[in-house]
Amino acid sequence: MDKADSNTVPARFKVGDRVKVRDLPNLFYTRTQSFVRGATGTVAARTHESLIPEDEAFNREDGQPEQFYIVRFRQKDLWDEYPFANDTLQTEFSDRWLDPA
Amino acid sequence: MPSRERLRQQNDILARFAPAIHHTLAAPYEVTPGQFAAYMQPIHDIGGQPDLPVMYEEKQEEQWELDTYVTCEVLAWRGLWNAEERRRRGNNDVGLSIYLGVPYYGRWILAAARMLVDKNKISLTELIGKIAEVKARHGQSR
Repeated sequence: MDKADSNTVPARFKVGDRVKVRDLPNLFYTRTQSFVRGATGTVAARTHESLIPEDEAFNREDGQPEQFYIVRFRQKDLWDEYPFANDTLQTEFSDRWLDPA
Repeated sequence: MPSRERLRQQNDILARFAPAIHHTLAAPYEVTPGQFAAYMQPIHDIGGQPDLPVMYEEKQEEQWELDTYVTCEVLAWRGLWNAEERRRRGNNDVGLSIYLGVPYYGRWILAAARMLVDKNKISLTELIGKIAEVKARHGQSR
């Protein structure tokens, strides 16, 4: 899965790393949900390298591809009132949306 | 020319949209940071918003839905739009009334039409003229 590509921004995270989702401004388009902003989770998988959605959505083929990650969150870390301690939620991010936690 | 009555009905439909608690907004000069952030949240980013249960309906695609899907895919094969433009921005960034008010594939075909106009593949006057011609052929006035 982790194939190297010289045009790609280097992947900064590996499976098991703790990461915090950045709270970048919303403007026009993104696929990073509001409810994960600022939340801390664990990298569950490194998936693929791709143009990021914010570039692809406007046909910016010249954008730099980035590594994508599936990040796993405890539901309780996303929703205070969530009743089950062991439940998790996974969602996917390009590299730029994550900071080391 | 549309009747006054028809315009009134159309405005009533729009005025009844979504909110149970309706805050009147008329392009105010002052917007709080919190309001701005809410307005900028992409329309499809609904996770965590309070809502009532939605009926889950499972059904086969109708012919017009399949036709719409194929049309949009063919436009992609011909290089007119990529997956993110087609499946994501094109049929999400449509305004709240269309997002909530038409079927899923209705958004797809509107996205295709919008893309063709935006990219100067067809002109809006050409498209409107064609729609009017087809409606007339089917005996529809609007």
